[in-house]
Amino acid sequence: MPNGILALIAPFVIRYFPMTLLTPILIAPVAAGLANLLPVPRRVMRWLNVMAFVATLGLGIMLLREVLARGVVAEWNEFLYADALSAWMVLLISMVSLGTSLYAGRYFDRDLANGAITPARVREFFVLTPLFSAGMFLVVLANNLGVMWAAVEATALSSVLLVALYNRKTSLEAAWKYIMLGSLGLALALLGTVFVYAAACKNNSGPLPSFNWSHLVTVADQFDPRMMKIAFLLALVGYGTKAGLAPMHTWLPDAHSEAPSPTSAMLSGVSLKVAIYALLRFHILASACLGSGFSRHLLLGFGLASMFLAPPFILVQRNLKRMLAYSSLEHVGLICTGIAMNTPVTIFGALLHMGYHSLTKPVLFFAAGNIGHAFHSLQYRVIGHGVVKVLPVTALLMVLAAASAIGLPPFGLFFSELTVISGGFAAGKAFVSILILVALIASFCGVLQQLSRILPGVPKPEFANKSSAARFDGVPAMALLLGTLLVFSVWLPAPLLQEIHQAAAIIGGKQ
Amino acid sequence: MNPPPSAELGPQLITLMAALMLVLQLLLAVQPMLFTSVRLFAIQSLFLAGIAGVVAFFDDASEVYVVVVLTVIGKVIFLPWLLNRQLRRIKIAQEVEPLFNAPATIMVCGGLTLLGYLVARPFTSLERLGNNTLAIAITLVLTGFFMMINRRKAISQVIGLLTVENGVMLAAIALTTYGMPLVVEFGIFFDVLVAVMILGILIYRIRETFASMDTSKLNQLKG
Repeated sequence: MPNGILALIAPFVIRYFPMTLLTPILIAPVAAGLANLLPVPRRVMRWLNVMAFVATLGLGIMLLREVLARGVVAEWNEFLYADALSAWMVLLISMVSLGTSLYAGRYFDRDLANGAITPARVREFFVLTPLFSAGMFLVVLANNLGVMWAAVEATALSSVLLVALYNRKTSLEAAWKYIMLGSLGLALALLGTVFVYAAACKNNSGPLPSFNWSHLVTVADQFDPRMMKIAFLLALVGYGTKAGLAPMHTWLPDAHSEAPSPTSAMLSGVSLKVAIYALLRFHILASACLGSGFSRHLLLGFGLASMFLAPPFILVQRNLKRMLAYSSLEHVGLICTGIAMNTPVTIFGALLHMGYHSLTKPVLFFAAGNIGHAFHSLQYRVIGHGVVKVLPVTALLMVLAAASAIGLPPFGLFFSELTVISGGFAAGKAFVSILILVALIASFCGVLQQLSRILPGVPKPEFANKSSAARFDGVPAMALLLGTLLVFSVWLPAPLLQEIHQAAAIIGGKQ
Repeated sequence: MNPPPSAELGPQLITLMAALMLVLQLLLAVQPMLFTSVRLFAIQSLFLAGIAGVVAFFDDASEVYVVVVLTVIGKVIFLPWLLNRQLRRIKIAQEVEPLFNAPATIMVCGGLTLLGYLVARPFTSLERLGNNTLAIAITLVLTGFFMMINRRKAISQVIGLLTVENGVMLAAIALTTYGMPLVVEFGIFFDVLVAVMILGILIYRIRETFASMDTSKLNQLKG
C-alpha cells in the first residue's frame, strides 16, 4: 500500500521538486518534529526521530558524492548552498542527532519511571530536538549571511527549552544564563552581519545585488577594510559566545550539566561546532579582505585562552557532566587554534578533530546519563567509587570514549591532535605547538585523574546490589558512535579524505 | 547655500527621531516602573519604524515599507501587548534595587553615549542618513547591555535585550541605504518574536519554581 502511494506521488514530486538534495535534509527533521506534536505514542515519536536522521545521514552521504563531483551544490536560486565544508558539517550533525535519538528513548523511559519528568515534557523533547537539528542544518546550508544568523538564533531558541526540560531550580538558572548570554552574543553577531553588509555596499549606491556568502567571497577584496575589521570582531565575540570560546564560555558548563544527557550530547557534539562554522565563514571573508593576519591572530588568542582555561577547571570539578563540558571547551579551543595556524595541514587536522570529537563526546555524555540514573546524582561525592562494578558495560564504553577524548591511540583524536601539532612545527610555529601540547597534557591528566576517582574501587553499599536491568540501556547508541569512531580512526575512506581536504582549502584558500 | 527643503527634510527628520530614541533609552535606563518601561519601549520602536518610513519615502525604496509594517506590528503592538499581559499575570510593577542608583545610572549612560560617539566617529563619512545615527545606534546597544546588567527583574532584562535589538536595526538602517534584504528582515522579525515568547515561558517557570523573578536568586551554579 505505501508503495502504491509512493508510485502515485513520485511523478508529482519529480516534476515540481527537481534535483532536490538540500531541501529534504531540512524537511526531514522538521516533518519529524511536527509529526511528534500529534498525540502519537512515545515509541512512534522515538522512531520518527531516528528515521528522520537516518534519512538525513543518507542524504548527507549523497551530498558528499555530489560535492566531490561538482564542487558546489545549490538549490532555490542559490538560497541553499553547500560546499565541502557544509557537507562535512551535515554529516556530523546527522550522526550526532542519530545517536542522540537512539539513546533518548530508553533514557526518558527511565526518567518517567523515576518520576523525574512528565510525559508532556518528553514530547517536548522529541518535538524540539529535530527542530534544533533542522536549525543547525539551515546554518550550514544557508547561503545568505543574514539567514545564517537567523538559523543560529533558531538553534539557540529551540535548545533553551531543552536545557530547562527538568524544570529544576538549577536547570532553570542554567537555561536563563544560556538564553541571556546567547541572545546578547547573537545580537552582537547580528551587528557584525550588518557591518559586513555595509562593508560590501561601500561603493554601490543601490542595494547589494546579493548578500549570499558565495557572492561576497568573490568581491571581498573590495570591501571597506575598517568595517570588515569591526564586523569580524563582532562576529567573533557573538558566535564565539555560542561556540563557548573563553572568556564567553560561562554559560557552557551550566547548560551542559543541567540539560538532559541527550541534549548535552547535541550541544557539545555539534552545536558548538556549528557556531564555529558560522565564525569560519566570517574568517574566510575577513581573510580575503584584510589578509589572513587579522582574523587569524584573534582566533589564535581565543583558541589558546580556551585551551588553557579548561584544564584547571577540569581538575576542580565535582560534577561529572561539568567536567565533560570543560573538556569540550578544551577541544573547541584546539579546533580554533588549528584553524588559526592557517597551514593546510593544521586546518585539515582541526576539521578532522571536529569530526572525531563529535563522535566521542556524545558517548561520554550518554555514559554520564546512565551513571546519573543509577546513582541518582552526578556529584562525585554521591557516586563514590566502583562504577565499573555497578554498570560494567557503561563503564567499559566510557573508558574507551575517555581514552579517545584525552587523545590516546588508536582513536582518531590522537591522530588529529598530532596532525595539528606536527603541522604547527612544520610551519615554524614551534611556540604555539608547544603551548598546545602543554594544554593537552594538562587536560589529559585532569580527565584521567577525575575518572580514576569514580570508575574503579568498591561501590557504596546502597549501590552495590543494583539490579542489572539497566545494564544494556543506551549501549546501541554508544556502540554505534564508538564503532564509527574506531572505523574512521584507522580507515578514512578516500572520498571523505578528499572532502576534508577540499573543506580545508576553502578555509585556508588565501594565505 | 540654500538646498531645496525636500533634500534636507529627510535627514533632519531621521536625526530628530534618532535623537528621540536616545532620549527614550535614557528614560528606560533610569525609571523603575515596569509598565512604563514597556510603553517607552513601544514608543522607541515607533520612532524606529518612523525612521524606516522616512527612508522608504525619500529614497523611494518601496521594499523598506515592509520593514515599517513588520516593526509596527511586532515591536509597537504585539511585543508590548505580550509583555504587559505577562506583567499583569505575575503582578509585579516595579524594579527593585538596581545595581546602580538613578544618578549613577545617568552617569554611566552618559559615559556610554560618549563611547558610542567615539566608536562611530571613523564611520561618519560612510553614514548615508542624517547625522549621528550610527553613534546613537551603538549607544543604544551599549546602554541596552548596561540595562541588562543593572536590572534584576527578568522582564527588565528582556526589555534591555529588545532595546539592544532596536540599536542593531537602527545601525542596519544607518549603514545601508535600503536596509537589509527582505528575507533577513523576516528572519530577524520572527526570531525576536519567538525569543520573547520563549523568554516568557522561562520567566513563568522561574516564577513558579522560585516564587520570584528576581534573577539574582539564580546563583547556585558556580565554577
